Amino acid sequence: MSEVVVECTGLTRTYDQDSVPVYALRGVDVSIMKGDFVSLSGPSGSGKSTLLNIIGGLDRPDGGEVVVSGTRLSTLSDSALAELRLHKIGFVFQAFNLIPVLSAHENVEFILQLQGVGSALRRARSTAVLDSLGLSQMSHRRPGELSGGQQQRVAIARAIVTNPALLLADEPTANIDSATTEELLSLLQKLNREQGMTIVTATHDPMVMSYTTRKIKLHDGMIEEDESAVVV
Amino acid sequence: MNIKLLYQLSVRNIFRHKRRNIMLFAAIAVAVAGVSSMNTLIRGFQADMLDSAVSNLTGHLKVYAPGYRDDPSIERSFRLEDGFQPDIPADKLLGWAPRIRVPAVIMSERETRGVQLVGVNPEAESISFLADVPIDGEGLSATQDDRILVGAELARQLETKVGRRLVIITQGADGLNRERGFRIAGIYDAQGTGLEKIYVFTGLARLQQMLDSDAITEISVRLKEEPQKASVKQLLIETFANMEVMDWQELEPQVAAMYLFADGAIYIWFILMMSALTFGLVNTLVATVMERVKELGMLRALGMRNRMVISQVVLESTIIMSVGVVVGLLGGYLIYLSMSDGIDLSSFSAGVEMVGMSTHLQPVLLVDDFVLVASMSLGLGFLASVYPAWRAVKIKPLDAMRH
Repeated sequence: MSEVVVECTGLTRTYDQDSVPVYALRGVDVSIMKGDFVSLSGPSGSGKSTLLNIIGGLDRPDGGEVVVSGTRLSTLSDSALAELRLHKIGFVFQAFNLIPVLSAHENVEFILQLQGVGSALRRARSTAVLDSLGLSQMSHRRPGELSGGQQQRVAIARAIVTNPALLLADEPTANIDSATTEELLSLLQKLNREQGMTIVTATHDPMVMSYTTRKIKLHDGMIEEDESAVVV
Repeated sequence: MNIKLLYQLSVRNIFRHKRRNIMLFAAIAVAVAGVSSMNTLIRGFQADMLDSAVSNLTGHLKVYAPGYRDDPSIERSFRLEDGFQPDIPADKLLGWAPRIRVPAVIMSERETRGVQLVGVNPEAESISFLADVPIDGEGLSATQDDRILVGAELARQLETKVGRRLVIITQGADGLNRERGFRIAGIYDAQGTGLEKIYVFTGLARLQQMLDSDAITEISVRLKEEPQKASVKQLLIETFANMEVMDWQELEPQVAAMYLFADGAIYIWFILMMSALTFGLVNTLVATVMERVKELGMLRALGMRNRMVISQVVLESTIIMSVGVVVGLLGGYLIYLSMSDGIDLSSFSAGVEMVGMSTHLQPVLLVDDFVLVASMSLGLGFLASVYPAWRAVKIKPLDAMRH
């Protein structure tokens, strides 16, 4: 039986927009298993980014419960949530969000430094990850000297170098061209298939959905469809 | 906490805005150089005031007979045993001088003036301004010397010169007036200070003969270091149980007040200069934080703890301040070196005399002052980073990512 990585029960989240309540999530129940490659899709305002942020501990629900790798997020303080993100969750953002003053290699090493990993092990792991993503030639370059696709690959390297239980990607292909998108999706697919990494991505992009093994569609803050593709 | 990581991030963030931070470094350096070089002038002013005060026959400490200060006459005097030596450790004592000082009237053929007639042992007066003062003619040679030394201004007023005789009238130990003629051995030039008009010197033994007394009216003690005066004062109080023992601050309260004010002026000057600068530093740091809202939010989203975010902002501020302080102190030192020959204040001689200074201001560099400026500046740098750091940790990762 497959291990549950994320368990969401009765999640609700409401925002105030000019004193008018906006219901971002209205009772979402979902379980994500180890090795799932999940796309959260739906129109703007459907709640996919809100769900992703709540799973990642960046936002807190008004109601319901989230359990990530056996940890109930509602019981954690802000600093404990930061600790959880640091050790168990990898993030890939739409705008790459690399640290502009650090090189590609340093950006990847950075997260290991935050974890307190020793310099030799840090260097070995970041070099290995950059090599596996074909970034060894540009590891000394700073983000400003890399293309959008290269920056997103560095961001993925940074997200996976800690070997997280869960990789969350929010519109990871929104700022890159279609050729680079395919390349990145193949990379995520490879990580999912070969390393069994659990990946959840919020997306509008049908190409992204075509790569995922499980497609969850949201509408008005509720799950409209949850279908698993047959993996060949 | 990974200090190396924080340092790396902070340094690179500083280099991110080279022009803005170079301007900030320059502003800090100029302020620190200004404060530290000004401190050398204030210390010079202080040292000059102290030197003038203790050289002006006052010494660091003085022993008087009770009541002498209110009624300065030979009746208020005391005797020293033959071969008396004050029981002061040699590492503290620079020298001591017994004196008689009595009010007198001095007359030339043309003019009459009121003066203080001082009987001195010329050898012991190495502790007073007499040791260094330029003399036209000769100085006194011994306690038996029956000639007098007069100041240049008094000689001008009396319309007399070296070799002429002057008549001095004063009151003897028996309460009767004594009158004697003295030949002028020399005319001392105390750089236009009031000393020239007040003090007339002669040999101590000769003055005792004139007054029919073997007593003295004061002992002046000069120490190697000013801060030693408290412990030595206690020794003198024990030695001269029935006498009045006073330090230079009690004898020259106006100078002492100016001396203390100079200490305060160092802080006032620092606060004025650095406060304005601190606002600039806070402004720059806040701008730096606000420019990096998204980045700081992302760092926190990735798991950077609040204390690391705070540490990064504080470290950036400290690095900026440290570089500015080092360059500023170097600048201050170079300014001090450029003034090492002293500053000629003779154009303001009337004014500087009023505050007990000479017309030559010699800057004095105290390492403690440089350390004080450096530590206070770094303290301000730390304080300046508190608000920006608070702003940085108030950033919510999710809000910042949407920024």
